[in-house]
Amino acid sequence: MSGSAHSEHAESKVRYGMVIDLDKCTGCGACSVACQQENNVSFRPDESDKLRTLSWMTLYRLENGAGYPDYRAAMLPRPCMHCDSPHHSPCTFVCPVNATIRDEHTGIVDHVAVRCIGCRYCMVACPYHARSFNWWDPKWPKSMEAMLTPEVSPRMRGVVEKCTFCHHRLNLARDRARLNGEDPDSVVYTPACAEVCPTGAITFGNLKDPNSDVAKLAKDPRAFRLLEKLHTEPKVYYLSSAQWIRRQSDNGL
Amino acid sequence: MDKALIPEGVKRCPLPVFGLWLLFLLAVIAWGIYAGLTVLIKGLNVTGLNNYFGFGLYITVDLGIIALGAGAFFSGFMYYGLSRFFPKLKELHKIINLAVIVGFCCYTGALLVLLLEIGQPLRGWFGYWHANVHSMLTEVIFCISCYAIVLVIEFVPIILENRKLDAVKPLHVFGHNLHEIMAIFAMTGTFLSFFHQGSLGGVPGVMFGRPFAYRTGFFIWPWTFFLFTLSAMACGPAFTALICRIIEKVSNKKLVDRSVYELIAKITGSLLLIYLILKTMDTLYWALDTAPGFGLKLSDFYREPYGMWLLFAELGLCGVLPVILLLTPQTRNSNGLLFLGFFLNCAGIVINRFAMTVEALAIPVMPFDQWAVYIPTWAEWAPCIAMLAYGALIVSLSYRYLPIFPREKELNP
Amino acid sequence: MSLGRRAFLQFVGGAIGGTLLTPIPWKLADDSAIWTQNWSWRPSPERGEITRVRSVCQLCPGGCGITARLVNGRRAVAVTGNEAHALSGGGVCPMGASSLQYLYAPYRIQQPLKQMGSRGDSKGFKPVSWAEALKEVTAKLTKLRSEGKSHTVACLTGQKRSTMARLWKRFLTAYGSPNFYTMPDAADSMRLAVALTTGRDAEVGFLWDKATYVLNFGAPLLEGWGSPVYLQKVFGRWQTEKPGVPRTVLVHVESRASLTASKAHRWIACNPGTEAALALGIAHVLVRDKLYDAAFVAEKVFGFEDWTDATGAQRKGFRNVVLAKYGVEETAKITGVAPQTIQDLARELAKQKHALVVWGQDKGDKPNSLYHDLAFLALNALLGTLTPSGTVVLVPPDPWGDLPEPVLDTEAYRGAGQTALGRPSTVPRTKAPVNTVLPFLEALASGSEYPVELLFIHEANPAYSLPETALVTQALQKAAMVVSFSSFMDETTQWADIILPNHTALERLDDVIGLPGAPYVYYALASPIVKPLYDTKGTGDVLLNLAAAVGGGVAESHPWKTYEEVLKATVASIAKAGTGLVATAGSFDPASVLPGRPLQPNFKDAADLWNKLKAGACWVDAPAAVESFATPSERYELACQGLMVSISPTAADDLFMPRFHPLKPSGEESEFPLLLVAYASLMLSEGYVPNTPFMNKLLPDDVLRKQDVFVEIHPETARTLGLADKAAAVLKTPRGETPVRVRLTTAVKPGVVAAPQGFGHTAYDEYVQQKGFNANSLVEVQLDPITGLGTLWATRAQLRRA
Repeated sequence: MSGSAHSEHAESKVRYGMVIDLDKCTGCGACSVACQQENNVSFRPDESDKLRTLSWMTLYRLENGAGYPDYRAAMLPRPCMHCDSPHHSPCTFVCPVNATIRDEHTGIVDHVAVRCIGCRYCMVACPYHARSFNWWDPKWPKSMEAMLTPEVSPRMRGVVEKCTFCHHRLNLARDRARLNGEDPDSVVYTPACAEVCPTGAITFGNLKDPNSDVAKLAKDPRAFRLLEKLHTEPKVYYLSSAQWIRRQSDNGL
Repeated sequence: MDKALIPEGVKRCPLPVFGLWLLFLLAVIAWGIYAGLTVLIKGLNVTGLNNYFGFGLYITVDLGIIALGAGAFFSGFMYYGLSRFFPKLKELHKIINLAVIVGFCCYTGALLVLLLEIGQPLRGWFGYWHANVHSMLTEVIFCISCYAIVLVIEFVPIILENRKLDAVKPLHVFGHNLHEIMAIFAMTGTFLSFFHQGSLGGVPGVMFGRPFAYRTGFFIWPWTFFLFTLSAMACGPAFTALICRIIEKVSNKKLVDRSVYELIAKITGSLLLIYLILKTMDTLYWALDTAPGFGLKLSDFYREPYGMWLLFAELGLCGVLPVILLLTPQTRNSNGLLFLGFFLNCAGIVINRFAMTVEALAIPVMPFDQWAVYIPTWAEWAPCIAMLAYGALIVSLSYRYLPIFPREKELNP
Repeated sequence: MSLGRRAFLQFVGGAIGGTLLTPIPWKLADDSAIWTQNWSWRPSPERGEITRVRSVCQLCPGGCGITARLVNGRRAVAVTGNEAHALSGGGVCPMGASSLQYLYAPYRIQQPLKQMGSRGDSKGFKPVSWAEALKEVTAKLTKLRSEGKSHTVACLTGQKRSTMARLWKRFLTAYGSPNFYTMPDAADSMRLAVALTTGRDAEVGFLWDKATYVLNFGAPLLEGWGSPVYLQKVFGRWQTEKPGVPRTVLVHVESRASLTASKAHRWIACNPGTEAALALGIAHVLVRDKLYDAAFVAEKVFGFEDWTDATGAQRKGFRNVVLAKYGVEETAKITGVAPQTIQDLARELAKQKHALVVWGQDKGDKPNSLYHDLAFLALNALLGTLTPSGTVVLVPPDPWGDLPEPVLDTEAYRGAGQTALGRPSTVPRTKAPVNTVLPFLEALASGSEYPVELLFIHEANPAYSLPETALVTQALQKAAMVVSFSSFMDETTQWADIILPNHTALERLDDVIGLPGAPYVYYALASPIVKPLYDTKGTGDVLLNLAAAVGGGVAESHPWKTYEEVLKATVASIAKAGTGLVATAGSFDPASVLPGRPLQPNFKDAADLWNKLKAGACWVDAPAAVESFATPSERYELACQGLMVSISPTAADDLFMPRFHPLKPSGEESEFPLLLVAYASLMLSEGYVPNTPFMNKLLPDDVLRKQDVFVEIHPETARTLGLADKAAAVLKTPRGETPVRVRLTTAVKPGVVAAPQGFGHTAYDEYVQQKGFNANSLVEVQLDPITGLGTLWATRAQLRRA
């Protein structure tokens, strides 16, 4: 129940977070494909209606708005921000059935599809459009059902889904640590997107561990988060040295 | 049989005419049911909703209709509660039955539509079982369903007043007893309603990731919480009055004293005025403090088709104007202007609900995101229109067979 | 009956309580919710033990390491990178990441098929047994050979960098046909240019990690050119701050603001297809201001100064030609690049310790104009990057020697004497192979020279992915018999008579030889990650089977029983050469490999190497340093004496050397006032395999919306045409027309239309079909008058409101 969400999370020594270096990101899309594959995200013959598509890791095109030949574009991959705002994330705050809750031990915002009633209040509350709704029954070509991974259950029609920071990978890593007699809180693991990124633009780890790459990069002068003024406190940081990109990270910059 | 059911001493239209009217309503309802089944069987992909517009027509209509249905609780509150202190409010007795019936229609209808709105209606009860006490929607689910039950209980004695039913002794006793304790239910309903009207306002107001909807507030309640309650009180009785007037026009009879309308005009006009003042303060604070804190200007929130005209329509045309129409004795004396006032009042509140639901979602929050436009499909219109037809059906049947207007006999000798 | 208030309340309460106490409503509510959580039509993936298999991706020439995750050893559920791979280090591209969607594609061909209806009827295919199908092909091969028509057998393979290509070539050579072709590649022209200038058959490798300044003429380094993931890794390293090490600067020259242009530190916008002119303009400044590597030019370069040809004629050298013809103002006029920028670029380049000039187009699958390749090479030569301490190396495609020579019987000799169909006589004779695919297809389509009796098509979909698709379809129809080895029912395979389906890339043992653009000698084995799903056979094995059945010298030339034996022979020859190592990430620094410093082997013998490679590792070695040149002058030839046979001796002096040589596009400017350029993206596959559903999800809705594909035009162009953003329009070129929608963007130059490649499939399934148009059907190929290779730069086009 919501009891765990009550406690302040200051004591937990684990806060998983991500840093995406936009200076390195080439917008190839491997992260998003790996994510779809890892999490059994379903697809349809026509995926061009971007307002109806299921996407956990979405690529946004940022443009500098200049004329030819000063035009520049950059791609910005957007996973769930796993907002760390005190008390509640925007989405977990509003879910009437506790289908989406923040694990205060790790900071991961999870979504339980079988609990979800599909009211979409969480989607409405999320300013990052990190959540998508299963508008249709998921359907794979028969032969492609063989490539569904058992590690993440396919969702059903009528529920919301989103990035979980590959929570199942964390669970596996924690189980392994327990078996080996190690501290499960000290495990490091990599979500599918960070794993395949060809330029190494995505760094993942424990933001509270000052020695982790992710914690160091989050303090980089190039670091920023999306919509910081909303105080949603995302745990996804971006790096960019381009002013025109940084300016688009929030309103009124 | 039909004759025997009609209350004594009043005239109703011939059965065939009434039958045709019912047939029409039933046809509309059937269309809505067909649409509803389509949504349930095929899924919400048949609607115009999408990942940007998670809420759409269903929610707008629900919010609107629940606000308009607030006439039941607020009239009840005034009649059963406040009239002890303000005897003038006893006048509301003449319209209280209708207010209950309209409220009943609005709430039960809204619940039915709400069932379509959620992707997993069979899990709807999770709201009770796995309740998240922080969610405004949890509060809404609890209060609306409880209040719907209260409305059923309030409606039952009115039904039992039917001539035939009343003749059955046990039913008569049952109805009588219910009447006796109606004040308790009215007060329960009032309590529930204050809360859920407020929590409906809380639904947008707490979304701190949505600068258009988000409001600061008092303790755990955002200002929209109070504004929604107040606006519902301001428009609910006006809506009841409008319905009453429509019945009068259709049946070509006088059903309540004009004094009732005037009383309602004064009450809703004053409440609307208070609401407008508070809403304006809220809007100013939001536009000048809250939104700039998020890096946004007022003009960032409005773009065609969701342009500034919405704000002017809501607060000006359907805000200030009805206040003037309802509170100025001269305009109140003109039937046309009086009911125009009621209508604008209701329209303004519906626009408010629309803005807080749909427009709030059209606005891109991430600067590199895009504006989106929402166009509902037939599968959304049909159940909503059918819900109105359902309300018309209940009201028609009630009017024909139940003595809901205590003054009807005297006013139409 | 009287009822007190208390009794009444009790009654009501009791009634409600009573109903709720019965289990019925609760049970129903609970059961129905549980039902929604277990809908039978939602697939429920089988659980089981999860294992990992490592291999190497074969979907493009990139040679990336991959890891497949399997459930119960038979169900592949994910393909990710192999973090132990020395060069791709765990990275993959979107196509590699979605490779399982090819393995499990519904459009796979599951058994041998024979066309029973008329050619091209996709419904006319009927299953046949392997024995039956092979018998038919063998019979045809035997018959043609006995009739002395062996040269009328041709093969087109898309697997350019694999032992498969060598096996095909060997098969045709032993059989007696010169008509062996691979799908076009940038290397087709580049190897010719390298051979002409250096006298060696080699590809150009670039020392990305050493370069401090990269001037890139058009190669979409971050969008699929070369070895995509390896280059992304390189870019990642460039963008990583290393204390004390200056950042590598990437300057990109291209007409369109591609992602590479946007990501580059500087983007030089030029007119479409004028990159070579800019290179020569820069060369002009280098020569004029004496900023070039004078020592290298003086000692190692021929043709810089005026020279005397074999006939004794006095000819102008590069210095005088470039000084006369490519002045800054002239170059500026051609390229649209400001004169000052040209001078600045030249000066900046000359200042660098490790400058690098690279060039290319799309995904490296388009040959360049020979003169343009020569121009970029010349700029490198002037900068001295070809020296052993430079940034450009020559990577031999075959460093460890080929398989033993095939046995040539009389028919093979007769066949070898025939000219390849359609090959122009102007093609310079060098050590580099000649791959005149388009002249071949043109001759086949027009029925000139001689007919093609049997055409093998392997791992290629030319009817879709070659430019001028109409020509390809025509050619396919003219071939007497087409045998496709495709695993998929693609646009080309639909024209086949017999289909002998290959295992897909993830089901077969195969190899990858060389990485395009990388400064290494590279070899990797691709192991199957799952057992073949269907009744398919590896084409290598099928080919050996056919060779044995044909008999004679053909059988003798193919002493191996299985393709695996062939690969083992290749690996054995690598092991025998005794250099290079099995590289793994972590212990291997890609930047440490320098030309001329061969790597010490870390494997015991051929068997050990085989096992290590089969486990997903790769073998890497440093190429030899360029110390000497095997040209007639024994120098780097800026003026190519090898061209003497290709062009008339009376030709002008500049025809022997690099020059800007745009081929005039057809169509009148009055009718086609715009220029169409097609662009590549890693989110789109325009090659042998189509886009996967996973990749389709990546596409923005201003590239593809429902069935409409968007072309990019400048708002100014749109204004003159009266087109609004997202408006429907018709795009017409001399090759055809198609409905499009327009996206207004300042990423393209006014007057230019940019269209994405990789759409417009008519084959496969509903996830692929009906999405826009195939850019290849609109673009115009121009055959290089010397090499006969099909080059592409821009096509005249017209856009009008729909």
